Amino acid sequence: MAWLRNRYPLTLGSIAALAISWNIYVALNNDGIITGRAVTADQQPVGGATVVLSERSLLVAVPKGRATTNEKGEFRFTGHTLHHLYLEAHKEGGGRMPPKEFRLYFKGQNLFLEKPLVLEESK
Amino acid sequence: MRQYPHWPIHLILLFVSALMLVPFIWVLKTSLSGENIFSYPPALFPRDPHLFYYVDVWYTIPFLRYLVNSAVVSVIVVAANIVFNSMAGYALTRNFPAKRAMILLFLSCMMIPFQVTIIPAYLITKKLALLNSYLGMALPVCSTIICIFVFKASFEAIPKSLIDAARIDGLPEWRIVLRILLPLSKSAIATNVILAFIWSWNNFLWPLVIIRDQEMQTLPLGLSRFLTVVEDTTGALYAFCIMVLLPGLILFLLAQKEFIAGLTTGAAKG
Repeated sequence: MAWLRNRYPLTLGSIAALAISWNIYVALNNDGIITGRAVTADQQPVGGATVVLSERSLLVAVPKGRATTNEKGEFRFTGHTLHHLYLEAHKEGGGRMPPKEFRLYFKGQNLFLEKPLVLEESK
Repeated sequence: MRQYPHWPIHLILLFVSALMLVPFIWVLKTSLSGENIFSYPPALFPRDPHLFYYVDVWYTIPFLRYLVNSAVVSVIVVAANIVFNSMAGYALTRNFPAKRAMILLFLSCMMIPFQVTIIPAYLITKKLALLNSYLGMALPVCSTIICIFVFKASFEAIPKSLIDAARIDGLPEWRIVLRILLPLSKSAIATNVILAFIWSWNNFLWPLVIIRDQEMQTLPLGLSRFLTVVEDTTGALYAFCIMVLLPGLILFLLAQKEFIAGLTTGAAKG
């Protein structure tokens, strides 16, 4: 087993192990789920707000999904296939949040927002 | 003999090494943060580093496809270089009529740039029906004169008595190369592997000329295509450069000991 200590199999084996581990991690976390909450500036949950998921190119924003928040202000998207996305939220008479950028490490990565989307009244 | 202190030389070498590393650190830093060289205040380390530019590269172009194409061509080139160069190198260690003229011819051919021979190379590849193929991309670099001389120098450093003994035992010439000379020339093989791999990996002009299908493009061609696709190129472009550089860098670091030994074989007689 001395050949295992040789730098060639050691390096190439490490790269292979890293690639396999990464692919397993991707396979376990690419359901395309996005969950989060929408709140007001004073941290009150906003029910019935519309959250828009979109993808942007140089010129246009392409909407990829819409979700409505429940009474706790929670929303959920499933099956997205993006790695670079934008979320924006608005509610009739309840303010809006401009598009916020999110970057992911692979397409369809599950995203559980720790910080809520904050809707603010437009001035 | 008077001993001089080593530290001034080491200090100069350290400074020069750091200076030579600056472009590489700059590329690495930009790939991790998107800050270009003009950002103010200047910083050696990236502020707020992330790997998202690498993700952009991975998904913007068919990176894996280009990587596989480059790898296949490089494997063909490396294998062909070891076979053809070792055979040619062995032939040059033997005595035959016009050997000196042959060596001069090889050396003079080294002075002809590839760009000059690109049209005949294209026509030959077309005649062989190898346009738009892996073998066609590999063909012009399947044997390189520098590597032939690396093998020649390495074979000449092996005691002649070993070859004579093998010949007395009845080994044919090709088995002498395979069984006696190549196992004793690991450094020359490593040098061939590294040089052939790097030349093939970085080859841009020849694949650009003979490849028509986007699916057959290699990484350097992908880099030029990438420039036309991505609008904000700063971070992603440098991430692409790092991704293209990495395989060659790993190979060089792995085999650098043998590589240096291979280049210096035969440099001193004694």
